[in-house]
Amino acid sequence: MTTRLSNAEIQYIVDGVEQDFRSDGRGAEDYRQIELETRILPNTNGSARCKLGKTEVLVGVKAEVVDVDVHAPHIGKLVITADCSAVASPKFVGKGSEVLENDLSNVLSFLYNSTNTISLNDLCIVKGESCWQLHVDVLFVQCGGNLFDVASIALKAALYNTTLPIVKVSGEGIEMEMEVSDDPYHVWKLDVSNCPICITLYQIGGGFAVDPSEEEVACSEGFVHIGVQPNGDMSSMEKAGAGNIDPTTLLEMVEVGVRVGEEIHKQLNKQLDAEKSLAKL
Amino acid sequence: MASEILSAEGLRCDGRRPQEMRKLKCELGISEGADGSALVEQGYTKVLVSVFGPHECANRNTRNHERAIISCSYNLASFGSAIRKKKMNTDKKSTEVGVMIQNTFEAAVMLEKFPKSQIDIYVQVLQGDGGERCVAINATTLALINAGIPMKDYVCACAATVYQDSVLLDINNLEESSRGPLFMLAVMPHTDSIVQLQLDHRLHNDHLDKVVKETIQGCRDIQVLLDRQVKEWTVEAGSRT
Repeated sequence: MTTRLSNAEIQYIVDGVEQDFRSDGRGAEDYRQIELETRILPNTNGSARCKLGKTEVLVGVKAEVVDVDVHAPHIGKLVITADCSAVASPKFVGKGSEVLENDLSNVLSFLYNSTNTISLNDLCIVKGESCWQLHVDVLFVQCGGNLFDVASIALKAALYNTTLPIVKVSGEGIEMEMEVSDDPYHVWKLDVSNCPICITLYQIGGGFAVDPSEEEVACSEGFVHIGVQPNGDMSSMEKAGAGNIDPTTLLEMVEVGVRVGEEIHKQLNKQLDAEKSLAKL
Repeated sequence: MASEILSAEGLRCDGRRPQEMRKLKCELGISEGADGSALVEQGYTKVLVSVFGPHECANRNTRNHERAIISCSYNLASFGSAIRKKKMNTDKKSTEVGVMIQNTFEAAVMLEKFPKSQIDIYVQVLQGDGGERCVAINATTLALINAGIPMKDYVCACAATVYQDSVLLDINNLEESSRGPLFMLAVMPHTDSIVQLQLDHRLHNDHLDKVVKETIQGCRDIQVLLDRQVKEWTVEAGSRT
């Protein structure tokens, strides 16, 4: 994904970002059109596909009943794993994608680390015994920049329509019996009203921008991932990439990131609710 | 369990007749970053294939001075099967299927036109519900066509099993896990020449002729659908400004 740019091109892009008018006409805070589709994988408990620019991500959520963690007997588990498919680029064959996958898995897991993002208590079936473990697999089918943001949007959409079978627990102690319902309509949904999305702000020259194109990424020095919740709270923050960021710029970035994040949440929720009203499940 | 495969009325577990194939949906050129790509869905099995090349050989040792070499990688998504499978880089079964697809297309692609080059085929199974290898081969055919790589003919694949003397075509996951024979055939339909054949479990010799004939017919039917999609895509791509 190395883009070679001439000095004139770099200057053009940097000037554009600083003046809030990028090469494709967008402002520094504008995202490109986001394409989202949910419930595309019937094998999973929840799924979504998200496409933004040249990046396309598929998220599948699979649930299984497991034993609780000894250190946290009253909550369920959420495991987020990223997978860069070889279909996206020949570089991802075999172990080529390991570094990027680790990075993606860590940032996305970090987003959901804080306790008020998703209620893991709801995933507990029998306290001290069994709980639901949600495996969220993020598959990158095309990689064209801005991977974290797209993945987090698809993740939230997949969790939004994740359905878990209702479990009937009877008896106590040794005689305890758990019955997982077979009925595809006897299900419950997770509460994703606080789930965050990742907004990545790239520092380009003296300014910063969201959702950069590949050329703009090549001109950037350092970027910041911010996990933004629908109510404007931040669930996580991480600075990555090579480059120094001024503290004042950082505060400005955070303010913009939260603002953009809230707007995206609003639009996302609107679309997800509209899609829900299309089908009766 | 036994009655689920084929009911007394002659219907399979998903309501199909024995020679009925699953619904086939295909699309070319869905991955912009690749030279050629295709997505094929047969029933619930969904496979995405990307083709890169022909390009310079990555490894000088494997370079062939007379023709191109094909390298193929096959991967199943973690959420692809009924039970979640953790991604493993050196999965023996995936490597085996990769080599099988590579051998299949070495017979079909006109490799002599591209000496010293390499063609990469990457297969990603998004969802598996039986017949993943066949759908992968069908999708690879379309992806190679999308990439503009010349081939002798389409390569179409179909899997079948035999149950109570009936040949069941285009088997799904449930039928694959029954203890009947798993017969997979990849064919170049215009000449009916077989490029790949795999049989698992036992198949009685009496059934062999019938199974081969019906599976070849299944492959021919698939070729008609793939061809229709290729023509539609050509018209659409050609009329794009």
